[in-house]
Amino acid sequence: MTNELLVDIDSVQVSVKLSRTRRLQIVDYASMQIRRGEMMGLIGESGSGKTMLCRGFIGTLERRDAYISGGKILFDGIDLAKAKSETWRAIRGKRIGYVPQSALAGPNPVLTIEAQLLETLKNDPKLDRQAARKRAMELLDIVQIRRPDIVMKQYPNQLSGGMKQRVMIACAIALQPELIVADEPTTGLDVTVQAEIMKLLKDIRSEFNTSIVLVSHDLPLINDVCDRITVMHAGATIETLPSSEIENSKHPYTIALYKSRIDLAPPRGELITIKGQPPAVGGWQEGCRFNQRCDFVTDACLVGPHPKYIQLSQDHQTACINHASISDKVGSR
Amino acid sequence: MSIKKFRRWMDEPGNSVIFTGSTMFILIVLAGIFIPFFYRFGPYDFVGDPLQSPSLEFLFGTDQLGRDVFSRTFHAVYLDLGVAFLGVAIPFAIGTVIGIILGISKNKRLVALISSIIDGINAFPLLILAAALIAFLGPGLGSVIIILSLTNWARYARIARTRAVVVSQQNYIEAAYTLGYPKRRIIRKHIAPNVSSETIAYALSDFILVILLVAGLSFLGLAATPPTAEWGAMISEGRAYIQGSPWVTLFPGAALCWAAISLAFIVEGLNRREGKI
Amino acid sequence: MTQSTGKQDKTEQTAVDNRKVFAYKVGIRFIRSIAVAFWVTVIAFTLIRLVPGDPASNRLGVDADPAALEAMRKQLGLDVPPIQQFINFFQGLIQGDLGTSLQFDREVSDIVFSALPVTLWLIALSVLISLIIAIPLALFVATSKSVLVAYIFRSSTAVAIALPNFFIALILILIFSIRFQWAPLLGYTPEFPGNLEYLWLPAVVNATTLVSILSRVLYSSIGDTLREEFVETGIIRGIGRFRFLWYYILKPSLAPTVVLLSYIMGVMLGTTVIMEAVFSLPGIGTELISAVFNRDYPTVQAIVFIFGVIVVFFSFFGDLMAYWLDRRVKF
Repeated sequence: MTNELLVDIDSVQVSVKLSRTRRLQIVDYASMQIRRGEMMGLIGESGSGKTMLCRGFIGTLERRDAYISGGKILFDGIDLAKAKSETWRAIRGKRIGYVPQSALAGPNPVLTIEAQLLETLKNDPKLDRQAARKRAMELLDIVQIRRPDIVMKQYPNQLSGGMKQRVMIACAIALQPELIVADEPTTGLDVTVQAEIMKLLKDIRSEFNTSIVLVSHDLPLINDVCDRITVMHAGATIETLPSSEIENSKHPYTIALYKSRIDLAPPRGELITIKGQPPAVGGWQEGCRFNQRCDFVTDACLVGPHPKYIQLSQDHQTACINHASISDKVGSR
Repeated sequence: MSIKKFRRWMDEPGNSVIFTGSTMFILIVLAGIFIPFFYRFGPYDFVGDPLQSPSLEFLFGTDQLGRDVFSRTFHAVYLDLGVAFLGVAIPFAIGTVIGIILGISKNKRLVALISSIIDGINAFPLLILAAALIAFLGPGLGSVIIILSLTNWARYARIARTRAVVVSQQNYIEAAYTLGYPKRRIIRKHIAPNVSSETIAYALSDFILVILLVAGLSFLGLAATPPTAEWGAMISEGRAYIQGSPWVTLFPGAALCWAAISLAFIVEGLNRREGKI
Repeated sequence: MTQSTGKQDKTEQTAVDNRKVFAYKVGIRFIRSIAVAFWVTVIAFTLIRLVPGDPASNRLGVDADPAALEAMRKQLGLDVPPIQQFINFFQGLIQGDLGTSLQFDREVSDIVFSALPVTLWLIALSVLISLIIAIPLALFVATSKSVLVAYIFRSSTAVAIALPNFFIALILILIFSIRFQWAPLLGYTPEFPGNLEYLWLPAVVNATTLVSILSRVLYSSIGDTLREEFVETGIIRGIGRFRFLWYYILKPSLAPTVVLLSYIMGVMLGTTVIMEAVFSLPGIGTELISAVFNRDYPTVQAIVFIFGVIVVFFSFFGDLMAYWLDRRVKF
């Protein structure tokens, strides 16, 4: 991991066109910076806007009548928020790869694995048909699929969930992109398979120096694997911090998430939950959107716009105006 | 029902279409009941010169034998719709019952045997079977009803059986059974209504098909034959005069279309209500 | 990077070559179709004999001479017990002998073989025209964002399905044959492409119903496919437009339409009878009606049987196509 900045997201807003006149804001403040070779986790509850933000990364917002209504997404200096289709064609798949949610998606069910890998590799002008086929086998090897020669000829419905995800990862890394966006790539898979796939991603990161954005709702998983974590809540990024510093979190939401880990609960002890529900999209209240559920809430939190990032150190930003009053070690109850 | 409530009901998906279709259907049924009752001309009366174009005296004109097309068209309603109704109701009854029995029966061999017979019958297009069997029964609307009762039930039985199998394996049936409810009651109160809802839905679409089937067979001369006032037969009779006197064919044809379309609207509306399309 | 992991999945146990699987499945299904065809034969045979009425007296009249009636029964093969009748029938089938027609003093197989191509041509042309219209139509409506377009589509197809085909035929004849003279009123030539002149209008009539049914199902199917995640993945991969259209939108959506098509073609075999009557085409439907009117029982039986077998074949072929297009289909 170098210190060179690959992605710089600054105050991004994402909105959805509901009808000709009605708009709905899904994300109203997102800021994040990703370095080359860094693995960044993106975590949040459903409705936090993390998936829509990812779609902004790969340019599939338009399909869902959504668009970037503000801010910049700088990828290697290119502003993706304003990118036209030619730009996207040069970037999508080639410089930014995408691994979709394992539960929902997978490879195209009417094509063989080989056909799909070749599809992706076709974008590389240097490879002719034979070289492409060889490269496809190599890719299957990289993602640790045994007997790639057989798997190539199979259809997705003959593969298990874990294997399908490996194929998706293979397609994503095929052209050696600089950034991979993985949206909940292991949700719904067996725990052991999850661990394998996470390790695979880590290996890919180290070997090819690819930056990875790993989206999930599972904090322990992300924490184990990622270098840094960004937490989102109700359409805004509220904290970015190194995973090693998770116990030094300076935002009540992150703390609450950490404390509510089910695996930390003592036997026969109480399970800690976060009280209340995240505010629904479109029904965001004034002030900080966590103010109804926060243990550290003060009057200042109830008014004004949602707080923006406050820089605490080079790697740590938080959006809590009361961060100073948060006690040092979160580990204590 | 107040106007406001009606408006709101109409706004829901599918309901406006059901309303249109039902209105159209009721209109033609009412016309079929009252016009023959009150109208001055009968369907077989020779009322004037042949092939007169529609006028105030003969609203739909006269046909090639000088009969009033208006009267004949509406006299045909109870034949076309009535015969079709029987051709659906009887197979519906037979097929649903047999289907339910097959669905809950434990006798695997018997079920397999009858099911393959059902599949065999269903393999034939209804029109072909009907036409072929007319060869043995002789043409006539009565023959058609008999033939449909003998063959169309298989389509209902197939649907009923598939549904009955699914329903009987549901958890709530098993629960009722363990609670000690008598089997007959379970069938009557839980399985039968559930299965019937599906076969009734099919019956509605089938009604359209059978109306067209009966008219089609009559058109070919295999069901209602001239001089019967029936839409298919009338269309066939008027065919030779279509160039000069199209009204002889067009009005019965339009009536047939009206009936079929009104029912199609009802089916479409019901589908939209359930969100299937 | 090439360390293998613990348990690899189904692939190991089912290390198969896809082509072999395909061939195997086709074989099994074919055998099953033959079994259904057999049942179809039995049904055709049985139903016809179940119907009340004595064919001999139907033909000769109720007060005909009893000796003549006996002779007729013998000629029709009705003097032996039903099982024997069936065996005779079946034996004849295998040898390609469908019996002798009572109307024309010809072999029934002869009649069938000269009439069947006409009907098949009509069906093929109808299906071709329908697909050419239905697929682009469904694509257009499914990808259009306009609510109005979808509404018009759904309403008009719902109406079009219900229209009686013989009536539509007569109206179109009025317009195209009589007023514009674009289509002949009568006649037929069997050679291609001459026969197209006589087949195009009946095919268009068939197409009105067919397009409505097919495009609705395809429209619904495409709608479902567009919501799938792999389509989005396809966009991301940057695939060429035509390839995307076929492999990511059409191919995954066509399976239900194909299965339905094979079913509809079976139904069309029925309605084709009416079309042939309206357009005076010498197809197998016309032969059937003629045989029915003339109480030509051997011909009727043989034609019913043929129809049944053709439907079974259509259904087999339809399922095969669906599976070939989309592996998710149960075959």
